[in-house]
Amino acid sequence: MRHWMIGLALVASCILPVAGQTPSTYKAPRSPHKDGKPDLNGIWQANNTANWNIQGQAARQGPILELGAAFSIPAGLGVVEGDEIPYQPWAAAKKKENAAKWLELDPEVKCYMPGVPRANYMPYPFQIVQTPTHILVAYEFASASRTIYMNSKEESPADTWMGWSRGRWEGDTLVVDVNSFNDQTWFDRAGNFHSEALHVVERYTPVSRDVLQYDVTIEDPKVFTRPWKMSMPLYRRAEKNAQLLEYKCVEFVEELMYGNLKKKP
Amino acid sequence: MAISRKSRNVGLTLAIAVTAAVSLNGQEKGPRTPWGDPDLQGIWSIATITPFERPSALADKAQLTEQEAAEAEKTFLKTQNQDRRDGAGTDADVALAYNDFWWDRGTKGVSSRQTSLVVDPPDGRVPALTAEGRARATARAARGYDSWQDRSLWERCITRGLPMIPGPYNNNYQILQTPDNVVILSEMIHDARIVPIDGRPHVGQSIRQWFGDSRGRWEGNTLVVDTTNFTDKVSYRGSTEGLHLIERFTRVDKDTVRYEFTIDDPATFTKKWTAAIPMARTDEQIYEYACHEGNYGMVNLLKGARAQEKAGGEK
Amino acid sequence: MRKVLMLAAVVFVCATRTVPAHHAFAAEFDAAKPLKLRGIVTKVEWINPHAWIHIEVKKPDGTAEQWMIEGGTPNTLFRRGVNKNSLPPGTEILVDGYQAKDGTMKANGRDITFPDGRKLFIGSTGTGAPGDPPEQK
Repeated sequence: MRHWMIGLALVASCILPVAGQTPSTYKAPRSPHKDGKPDLNGIWQANNTANWNIQGQAARQGPILELGAAFSIPAGLGVVEGDEIPYQPWAAAKKKENAAKWLELDPEVKCYMPGVPRANYMPYPFQIVQTPTHILVAYEFASASRTIYMNSKEESPADTWMGWSRGRWEGDTLVVDVNSFNDQTWFDRAGNFHSEALHVVERYTPVSRDVLQYDVTIEDPKVFTRPWKMSMPLYRRAEKNAQLLEYKCVEFVEELMYGNLKKKP
Repeated sequence: MAISRKSRNVGLTLAIAVTAAVSLNGQEKGPRTPWGDPDLQGIWSIATITPFERPSALADKAQLTEQEAAEAEKTFLKTQNQDRRDGAGTDADVALAYNDFWWDRGTKGVSSRQTSLVVDPPDGRVPALTAEGRARATARAARGYDSWQDRSLWERCITRGLPMIPGPYNNNYQILQTPDNVVILSEMIHDARIVPIDGRPHVGQSIRQWFGDSRGRWEGNTLVVDTTNFTDKVSYRGSTEGLHLIERFTRVDKDTVRYEFTIDDPATFTKKWTAAIPMARTDEQIYEYACHEGNYGMVNLLKGARAQEKAGGEK
Repeated sequence: MRKVLMLAAVVFVCATRTVPAHHAFAAEFDAAKPLKLRGIVTKVEWINPHAWIHIEVKKPDGTAEQWMIEGGTPNTLFRRGVNKNSLPPGTEILVDGYQAKDGTMKANGRDITFPDGRKLFIGSTGTGAPGDPPEQK
């Protein structure tokens, strides 16, 4: 009788997504551009609470009383390896201040471009369009996007919200090196932040037809005492005719941002 | 103004010539993607000095001669130079805004030497508005600075919108392709238009978007993009949410994509009309366009208007 | 023949010129408040469609004022080789412009030059003005 249970477990372990560092035996179909690289085209979305807090947390009451349980803050396991963010002492204090003034300071509230890696784990889908020289990642949130330049040595002329991304392949893993950030974006709604010295290295690995394993290393010598990592699966939006829609949120925040400058009736 | 036979004939000849050129390329093998679709990929600029509508003084003239085109280019560079200060101290000088080095209007007219980007109707001018369209245009022109809602979509940093029209800068677009999608990435205001070409239907009528909902298909060598589902907040020259936009992209040679768009909005325009704008290959790069993230302009113009009102006079 | 050529060219160009201003500069800045400032760059915000150059202006009484000068779209400059290191803090510039209508220390950078009269960033090619380099494209 135990044999069928073992068999079932084996089958289950084959079809469930494999998280963490376990090497994948899955081989994705190749890109239609016939360059021999895995095809990452599609619409993807994270499914966790990292945008609330990249570290683990318990649930708690939300900021707007009237929204009750519809908009309180969920619990989450966190996506940071070791669940610890190695802030320098001054930065740890600043993070606390950010968290206390979240609504006033979080750039997401103002519909600003979310930066990297936050854009990848916001609760909105994003689409990868892949060619051999350019991989476009288009985010539904605020119509933000970034272009990953493949095999390019060009540098960014200025600091940006979404960073400057250069990519290469290591086997079937897309490795993206991102720098030239400004200091304006956050990692989540919990006030985790960085400086313009931020350097991000992302790794996207297809581990099954509908799952990418996403691992990202964060380095910022002005803010942290050492590099640290986040890790999560990204899931394909598998519904028929999935497409990005618009979340052009500027018009949702104009009253908030300019309301006091309107002509009084 | 009556369209002379001569002008109609020239317009027709021009249209036939261009169509012939396109169908000629339909027979020869232009560049192809690895899976066999025509290849439109690259970074393209739509900067041009050709005016959108044909100036009334050139009503009979659908096309400049080579000499006239060269002369126009020279004159353009001189008169459009923003470093001229002939009107210093006037609103006109304020409106010229900055030194010439900030602008990228283009230095050349379109290679067909057509005297307008509008190619149909043959007089090169946008058809008359309906009465409803005229009323909306008047209402819009009367808007001032009471609120952000009175300002254009690009002053609000929402979108440059559709269709693609040459402007004084940021005329660059990047096209990427896969078998299922064609992407048109516009620098301003960082919009990635992802157009499915896999035959799926449009989204439902209740979904309205600033960029509408686009579906593409190949017709020979031409990518035809059909867009509906616009919101009622978008207004291209007064258009309504009923706007039906049809765009065509054809690679005519190594360095040129012909972009053509047809506006079909019977509530606004008395006839459908079409413009053709060549997209020229460029080596230049597209950069991030953070706009809303630092929109001091909006704050300043609202504050300026409130200060003006307080001082007791509106200009 | 030459007259006809000129007419076509001028009319063609005038039509282009009537493209409406993309932005209501006259609503932000006051034609009745022209000014000339001399200051040291403290910071540049490379945002679109207007870069903002922050300068410190020393007044005759020794105090300093912080001004913000509005420029055009930096992406046009990036394509010509300009980058964030092209206008480092400490650079002295002259600004000929118009003050903000709300009276704050902001101005339209109508004409920005170095103290020696050179235009701030490389002049645009092909303006046809004497001394400009030949058209690159």
